[in-house]
Amino acid sequence: MKKITSKILIALTIMLSITACNAQIKNAKTDTIKIYGNCGMCKKAIEKAGNVKKVSLVEWNIDTKMATLTFDTKQTNSAEILKRIALAGYDSDSFLSPDLAYSNLPNCCQYDRTKKTIAKTEAPKMKMDTANQAIQKSSLEIEESNQLNNIFDKYFEVKDALVKTDGALASAKSTALLSAIKAVKMDKLSMDVHLVWMKVLTDLQEDAEHMANTKDASHQREHFIRLSDNIYTLMKVAKYEQSVYYQHCPMANDGKGANWLSKENAIKNPYFGAQMLTCGKTVETIK
Amino acid sequence: MSIKIIIKIKIILFGIALLTSSCLSSKSFQISPGRIVHYELYIKDSLVSFGGKEKRAIAVNGQIPMPTLTFTEGDTAEIVVHNLLNEGTSLHWHGLYLPNKEDGVPFLTQLPIAPNKTMIYRFAIKQSGTHWYHSHSGLQEQLGMYGSLILLKKREDPAFRNGIDDIPQIPVILSEWTNLKPENVHRMLHNASDWFAIKKGTTQSYTEAIKAGHFKTKITNEWKRMLAMDVSDVYYEKLLINGRNESQIKALTPSSPIFKSGEKIRLRISNGGASTYFWLSYAGGKMTVVANDGNDVEPIEVDRLIIGVSETYDVIVSIPAENTAYEFLATSEDRIRSSSLYLGSGVKQLTSPLPKLKYFEGMKMMNGMMNMDGSMDDMGMNMSLQKMDMNVVMYPEITGAIKKKDKAMKAMKMTEDNYKSNELSDIVTLNYAMLKATTSTTLPEASQLKELRFELSGNMNRYTWSMDNKVLSEVDKILIKKGENIRIILYNGSMMRHPMHLHGHDFRILNGQGAFAPLKNVLDIMPMETDTIEFNANLEGDWFFHCHILYHMMAGMNRVFSYENQAVNPYLPNKKWAYKKLQRESNQIHFMASNDFATNGNDGMAMLQNTRWSLSTEWRFGYMNTMGYETETHFGRYLGKMQWFMPFVGFDWRYRQQIGEINFQEHNVFGMLNSKDNRSLFTAGFDATLPMLVVFQAEVFQNGDFRFQLMREDIPISKRIRAGFMINTDKEYMFDLRYIIRKNIGIRTHYDSDMGFGVGINLNY
Ligand SMILES: [Cu+2]
Ligand SMILES: [Cu+2]
Repeated sequence: MKKITSKILIALTIMLSITACNAQIKNAKTDTIKIYGNCGMCKKAIEKAGNVKKVSLVEWNIDTKMATLTFDTKQTNSAEILKRIALAGYDSDSFLSPDLAYSNLPNCCQYDRTKKTIAKTEAPKMKMDTANQAIQKSSLEIEESNQLNNIFDKYFEVKDALVKTDGALASAKSTALLSAIKAVKMDKLSMDVHLVWMKVLTDLQEDAEHMANTKDASHQREHFIRLSDNIYTLMKVAKYEQSVYYQHCPMANDGKGANWLSKENAIKNPYFGAQMLTCGKTVETIK
Repeated sequence: MSIKIIIKIKIILFGIALLTSSCLSSKSFQISPGRIVHYELYIKDSLVSFGGKEKRAIAVNGQIPMPTLTFTEGDTAEIVVHNLLNEGTSLHWHGLYLPNKEDGVPFLTQLPIAPNKTMIYRFAIKQSGTHWYHSHSGLQEQLGMYGSLILLKKREDPAFRNGIDDIPQIPVILSEWTNLKPENVHRMLHNASDWFAIKKGTTQSYTEAIKAGHFKTKITNEWKRMLAMDVSDVYYEKLLINGRNESQIKALTPSSPIFKSGEKIRLRISNGGASTYFWLSYAGGKMTVVANDGNDVEPIEVDRLIIGVSETYDVIVSIPAENTAYEFLATSEDRIRSSSLYLGSGVKQLTSPLPKLKYFEGMKMMNGMMNMDGSMDDMGMNMSLQKMDMNVVMYPEITGAIKKKDKAMKAMKMTEDNYKSNELSDIVTLNYAMLKATTSTTLPEASQLKELRFELSGNMNRYTWSMDNKVLSEVDKILIKKGENIRIILYNGSMMRHPMHLHGHDFRILNGQGAFAPLKNVLDIMPMETDTIEFNANLEGDWFFHCHILYHMMAGMNRVFSYENQAVNPYLPNKKWAYKKLQRESNQIHFMASNDFATNGNDGMAMLQNTRWSLSTEWRFGYMNTMGYETETHFGRYLGKMQWFMPFVGFDWRYRQQIGEINFQEHNVFGMLNSKDNRSLFTAGFDATLPMLVVFQAEVFQNGDFRFQLMREDIPISKRIRAGFMINTDKEYMFDLRYIIRKNIGIRTHYDSDMGFGVGINLNY
């Protein structure tokens, strides 16, 4: 037995001494490359994505946005490191981050994507938007419906994210919802809408804020109950551009039941997602 | 000179990027006035370092993948194969209608091409589309013997589609690389080695289960006698697109102008992987699927698709913006690895990688789907055509990220809607029901419709894969008549998906598109799915019908369709003898052994086994006579589909010297005298695998004594720690813990009632 323990000890010390070995990079080469980002949080995320023990080391400068990449040329190259950083959400001149990774960044980190000014195939859609703006300026009525339509649109996006049980996405969409709420110019709302708006505004803001500040879908769902009720009240007075279905699931809210709005009659439950996707029924169609 | 001109014209006409074939010498690529297209292929051993280490591979004309072969419908192909290997080889033209003797299956349509011999394959090209070719000998495909085979449409063909057949085209062949010898991969799979799971991080040990809040799921899983849950079997070091893990195509050919924004490109994709299904996605927007297995389909836009082993898909992608290269991403189904091809020039726009699978959710799903007897229960759901993917429960992008236990939804009944990926999310995933042929594909009137049913069967524990629980070596050829229509109904009762491939014919899958059912030659069928395919028997010969996962094929998941009264094949006059050879090849004997060199003695085992039979011997040798020596040898046959029962006969030998004068005798729990000290006895008995994977062994010895024993090996405590125990009615017991260091080495500590406590090194093969 004694012999064994001593052997184990030797083995342990060898292992420890290996890991304790200074994480120095062999065959080192250094590149300095621009990486897009904003703040201290970005710095952390960029460096974490780029660093691999004994293989690569990244240091990013907040002021200059320049990163120093030091790496073992026998094991990796700067393209590999930059790809990892792009997959974490940060563009460089070699790689553009996937849209999803970028939109999952915290708000403070969502740097201006200069590279994204490239015209995509959605060009016709963009034209429509500018057309909309033109009309908005000319007609107060359209602006009013557009104001709340924007909120409804964002609400549906939040709902879709919850259907997918994607807390991060729901959080991002709630942030958008919140800014849509804040952007509403009350004085431009018609009388009846204005009255309802005043009633629901505080709750709407509070719920959207809570949902934006967490990525935990179950917490978001708790707020989504009241949020949905308020959006429903709002939609009853301010019409939406298409039919909307008011739906109810008796099992949500710990069996107390909860409601939501959907653009489709088919049930896709935002309170349970895939686990009980089709639980619920349409209780009212808002035309 | 005229040769070169013809080739050039071809490139201009069809804009095919002869990317991989650019390495061909000009001598080997000739087009004669009679439109005979000639290729010379030199097959040779080579060394590659795809996986970071230099390993043996097989290259053809010095390249991996093999050169892209391009023909136009109506050409005659003449392909000269020079075998410079030290072993036999063959080339199979996957998806082509050709004379049976040119099909390239050793011992079915020809003899292997012997070392340093040459064979000429010569056949007329009677179709168009994206196909591929590969070795059909042993495991050579895994070593690099796969290549694109592009059959172009003629301009004047009424089926020629503007905007599809006349745009730039790039052959894309997907594959995977392992640093292990394929023979070793094959052997390890049959020995239920969990080394691949360790490499992939998919051990699903108890510690991991508890951390994930899935202890109960794990227990239920073992109760139902399942090993860890996975969607693929082998760990690969690298995935490759056209032989590269990352590559970029800026222009059709080095000399042509770089791709413009808005330009559309047709990718002709073949899955040349030996066992990997790939998810395909693209950073520049949706992909338009225009053909499948070489047959045109109505264009359909998707966000992603899965390409089964040996399938081909043609997709059109566009380059949305200037100065940007868009990532075409191929990710293995297990999402452990991926490979990227960037299309265009400039900054590289990436696409979202597929998030890691939620394995314990998958395990939970499997628990729900599996009966105690190992059969699958579809719970009344109607599954077919990839529409319902049970694995969506593991896809975070569809069903959300892993969450902390949600309370309300425990006892939810599973319904079909929980698995329809396209209804659960706005990501459009292709499935077979969406494929629609461009012309009617109804079969010609035939005097006879022959209906066949197969249940795909198998079990992971012993890695047996079969049809109707029979491997090729247990069945005769299936006779069919020329002219009759054949309908095959396939049900997958196993736990893995299988890409079933038919040689020499395209079949239609009855997918709800009526007369426009798509034509295919590979059918991916997921667990519990039922699919119906049909074809007209119009090409005589012996045709293989098999699972195209290389290691499933080698395990015997094959059948042969044989036309009655067919003409003699000049390459293979003695078909009876050849079929026996073919049968033997897919029921190989596998060897495994392990030995523990411990402080208290040596103990180990060795085993030879094939699909049904097992010959094993166990030994325990002390270092002194007083500690004893013993061996037990068993020869048995596994019964049933799941192979949980194995009767055996055997021989036991033991010797132990007693200490001191008094010769005390031991009795077993039944009061029988124990012959532990000196025994040479024949035995008979059985092994039965019980819930929790405990093996119960009952044995009766020649002298009338009997013994019962319970044993469990390889309990996954953590990622690399395994535990085991044994107890029997001879009052012997053992407990052990093993730490796996490398594939063949571990540290093991155990306590044995005979030999006491020991620590040592465990070696296994
Ligand atoms: Cu094949
Ligand atoms: Cu085959």
